[in-house]
Amino acid sequence: MAKYAMAVDLDRCQGCRGCMEACKIENNTPQAVFWMYVFRTETGEYPDTKMSFLPRPCQHCNNPPCVKVCPVGARFRREDGIVLTDPERCIGCRYCEVACPYGVNYYNWRKPDAAFGAYDMDYSDPDVAAVTGGVIPSYKNPDLDLLQGDEQRLTAGGAHSVGVMEKCTFCVHRVDKGLNPACVDVCPVHALHFGDIEDPESPVSVYLRERSSFKLLDELGTDPSVIYVGGAPPGSETREIERPLTEVRS
Amino acid sequence: MPEITRRTFVKGSAVAVGGTAIASKFLFGGLETVQQTNTLLMAQQIQEDFVNTTCWIGKQDCGIVARRVNGRLVSLEGLEAHPKNRGTLCPKGTAQIAAVYDPQRIKTPLIRTNGKGGPGEFRAASWDEALDLVASKTKAVLEEDPKLLLWQKGRSKAKVFYDTAFVKATGATKLGHGAYCSDTGYRAAEYTLGPHGVLHPDFKYTRYLLSWGWNITAAGGNKTCWITWPQQMVEAREKNGLKIIQIDPRLRPAGHFADRWLPIRPSTDLAFALALCRELITLGFVDEPYLKAYTNSAHLVGPDGLILRGDLPADAEEGAEAPALVWDQASGQAVPHDEAADPALTGKYDVDGVAAKPAFQLFVENVEPYTPEWAAEICGLTADSIRKVAAEFGENANIGATIVVDGVEVPYRPVAIMAYHMAQQELGFQALRAMIMVSMLVGSPGAVGGQLVDFTWKIHKNYAKFGNLTVNEGPYDFTLAKSKFFPINSGFPGIVAKVMQDPAKYEVEKLPKVAILHYVNPLTAFPSQKDFLDTYGKFEFVAVLSPWLSETADYFADVVLPTATMEKYEGPMSASDQYIDGKTLRLPVMDPLFESRGEIDIYIDLCERLGVLYGEGGYIDQINKNLPLKDEFALPLDQVPEVRDIFDRWSRMEGLEGGIEYFERNGVWVKGPLPATKRYGYVTDPPFGGALHRLYGESLLVAQKKQRELGADKIYWQDYTALPTWRTPTMESSPPEYDLTLISYKLIEQKQSRTSMIPLLTELSGIQRLDMNPETASKLGIEEGDDVIVESHNAVTGETRQLRTVVALTSGFRPDVVGMPHHFGGWSPDRNKGLGPSPNEIYFTGEGYMVCTADQSFHVKVRVLKG
Repeated sequence: MAKYAMAVDLDRCQGCRGCMEACKIENNTPQAVFWMYVFRTETGEYPDTKMSFLPRPCQHCNNPPCVKVCPVGARFRREDGIVLTDPERCIGCRYCEVACPYGVNYYNWRKPDAAFGAYDMDYSDPDVAAVTGGVIPSYKNPDLDLLQGDEQRLTAGGAHSVGVMEKCTFCVHRVDKGLNPACVDVCPVHALHFGDIEDPESPVSVYLRERSSFKLLDELGTDPSVIYVGGAPPGSETREIERPLTEVRS
Repeated sequence: MPEITRRTFVKGSAVAVGGTAIASKFLFGGLETVQQTNTLLMAQQIQEDFVNTTCWIGKQDCGIVARRVNGRLVSLEGLEAHPKNRGTLCPKGTAQIAAVYDPQRIKTPLIRTNGKGGPGEFRAASWDEALDLVASKTKAVLEEDPKLLLWQKGRSKAKVFYDTAFVKATGATKLGHGAYCSDTGYRAAEYTLGPHGVLHPDFKYTRYLLSWGWNITAAGGNKTCWITWPQQMVEAREKNGLKIIQIDPRLRPAGHFADRWLPIRPSTDLAFALALCRELITLGFVDEPYLKAYTNSAHLVGPDGLILRGDLPADAEEGAEAPALVWDQASGQAVPHDEAADPALTGKYDVDGVAAKPAFQLFVENVEPYTPEWAAEICGLTADSIRKVAAEFGENANIGATIVVDGVEVPYRPVAIMAYHMAQQELGFQALRAMIMVSMLVGSPGAVGGQLVDFTWKIHKNYAKFGNLTVNEGPYDFTLAKSKFFPINSGFPGIVAKVMQDPAKYEVEKLPKVAILHYVNPLTAFPSQKDFLDTYGKFEFVAVLSPWLSETADYFADVVLPTATMEKYEGPMSASDQYIDGKTLRLPVMDPLFESRGEIDIYIDLCERLGVLYGEGGYIDQINKNLPLKDEFALPLDQVPEVRDIFDRWSRMEGLEGGIEYFERNGVWVKGPLPATKRYGYVTDPPFGGALHRLYGESLLVAQKKQRELGADKIYWQDYTALPTWRTPTMESSPPEYDLTLISYKLIEQKQSRTSMIPLLTELSGIQRLDMNPETASKLGIEEGDDVIVESHNAVTGETRQLRTVVALTSGFRPDVVGMPHHFGGWSPDRNKGLGPSPNEIYFTGEGYMVCTADQSFHVKVRVLKG
């Protein structure tokens, strides 16, 4: 059984948010929801200012606090290390959101058609529906409705139902096809690497062998599967700049 | 549309879908409409296929593989084989999928039903009716004077079909967007070195880079969009230890890639470059063999500023230029440059009673006052920081070193300047000239690791043209070409707008009457908005080609012709990353949606109605001549061509097996590595394409004399100097209360106004803001997120303009500078309302706010008031 991990090279990342956009389209996430989020930050005072970028997907912890607190077994960790949500079980209690120290969980407050509609993108427009079949959004990914893995469960990869928690799935629907997560493949500077960390020859293992690394909030014992190479963890002096729209426009 | 060969993978079975009984539905009572709709739709046989195409947004046409499910676009991913993007995409590349099916696209041709100058009302029309109307109005102006038809573009992805064939077939006047981009940088490079481009490094070998301006991780270089740049930049840092010195009021463009940040004051780059030149000379970092052999540094200049010339050989061709003289130190006399054994670069010589100096001597004297201390005061930097850059640049240049590349020994000077949009300032032309001279001093142009301009060392026709600038007496055409105002003229929509407001001032008699606006949106994309608002209503007729109702179309279009986005053929386009050569085409990912059409189809149809499609000199003939299509591949001049067939003929003529099917199968034609003998000027045949580098700009001085003779005001001629010379920018004479300089810049999530209608990108880039240093904010009593009024002042006219926005604090900004990204200020489609204003609303254009080559400056003095 493979054990999946992601290496993020902070010396390469230029904060372009290409990964955020590829994730958004691959996973059809609604407005202001970013399963992959890239922090653009600065520290220090002018003119000794320093800037850095930090992509933050779900950390797919090996000791995931979100799984432990889920009262209905909706949040689960597969044997291959991918942490997922079964929307058929999720009751929207949001315990996982509270338990997670990384802030990667998104609660669906509203109907997804409304969330998309706020863009002024009326996909039910008859001329558009005539060529798309009326799916929402127009680029709706059919793979997200597939039952994944040995468990044959839904993974909250695309339902976006009201009252359900969602987060990064490491693009389980792609991984199960032998592909990389969308964010990894799209990265213009190949800052993201993915693979089986137990296979010493996998791209991610080779990468990590050659570089020093850190994990976010490692001291909490969550043991993330997302490992950062280069750069430095954000500190108390780190200030976020250039935030994307994190509120729904209406 | 003809059948497209494509890789097709059909899944044999229906997709298993999850149950529809969702727990949350019972808890929340919400009807999961989308879930149900999608589930039902997906529970059917899925046919998946992949279509090769190119990005429709960016300038470098990245290769894309479009995934389709039952013919519907589901995702866009990078094409692995494409040299420019190597299987990756930027946020714009993936997000354009939302644009394709945008319900706000124009679905049918539109004809205006209300007056112009405000929000438009339109009725749907048939293509026949709309094109007949455009043709009748266009034909009338063509019969009067074809030059009064203005064809204006913002972007063009099939230049042969639009810029060349349509413009030549009709005889229209063409205007592009370059005057708002980096045209003055192109002009400086064409003038000084010869190739067509702005300054970029040889990432494979460069070890020390002056990253000048906001491009490096925000927009890329002049020949590539953006992906190629950072890819090569991060590899250069890892492999060569490339050092990056960021010279810009903002740190953000280089982010953590900046090894050092020099937060220079806007519009003072010329002063910085001149001080670097002086310091390099002082430190002895001068590549004399290069300057003597490949530049006009040794040319003897008389007291009148003109180069001394010998006699024309008896067998000289008519119009040939007499050979420039140099002082040959071997023979102790003035001889033609190519006859000198050892040309002098310095000294003063008596040539038949004329006191003459080598151009380089004049250059040394010219930069003598420009000490690091002098520049530090102007640039807002320390003298030490300027000295340090000069010393590092000189040391890293390795003057005298060579390296073997592709089996050829080439000079090795791994130092370069990256400068693209920093040309957008009043002194931009001479600032770029001076920066090129920084590289010239150490022999870096055309060396391995050195200063490059284009991917090959091909000389642009402007090099020869600029050797003798035409400055005519009026009356002038409405672009002011060859005028006493702009002896070098990039074609500037802003000055055309000024001319249309006051033709007498510019000695213009005939104004354009009909405009065809091809993917251009001056009203929000170009400064200054007021000038376009005051002008575009003066056209008798305006036709707009666009997929969306642009703001300019909303206010001024008589007819809007809906164009396709990714659903069309365009090209051919370069696929080169500067090391690997290649070509590509845009292939349609589906039939054009709604009633939209590809532009080539539209121009064919329009030309037929105008009577300029067939025969010699017609649109088809122009395609044959300029694509080109020769012999058996040429299009018949008497038949309406079919667009796919045109590209098929071109592909076959290029020797590609299967013609256009080659592109449908592979997505890109990778030709292979560009050899050193094409890339590096020192080893091309002849060296540097035969162009002698112009350290000394004699023709600029000659042009200045003609401008003055014809009575042009100083503001037009003052920067036509043979050597770059500092003067205080006009905007600095605004009153002292306008104590901040406003700059604008590009965000990586956006592509000027081309992408502002894509909501997925707005989501990433957020709403408009005014970047401000916390120290400045503190003095003004302003905090993050506060509403402010930004008021600009025109130092020439005294006019003030205002906009309202919110403040975003960043320590990566000079305290005396504030900044705003482009991309905002739109109102069409509706979703763009409320995102905040465009800086173009308060910039000025015209005198004091443009470059001497007719290009826009993006700097203005402002004050910020609490809103």
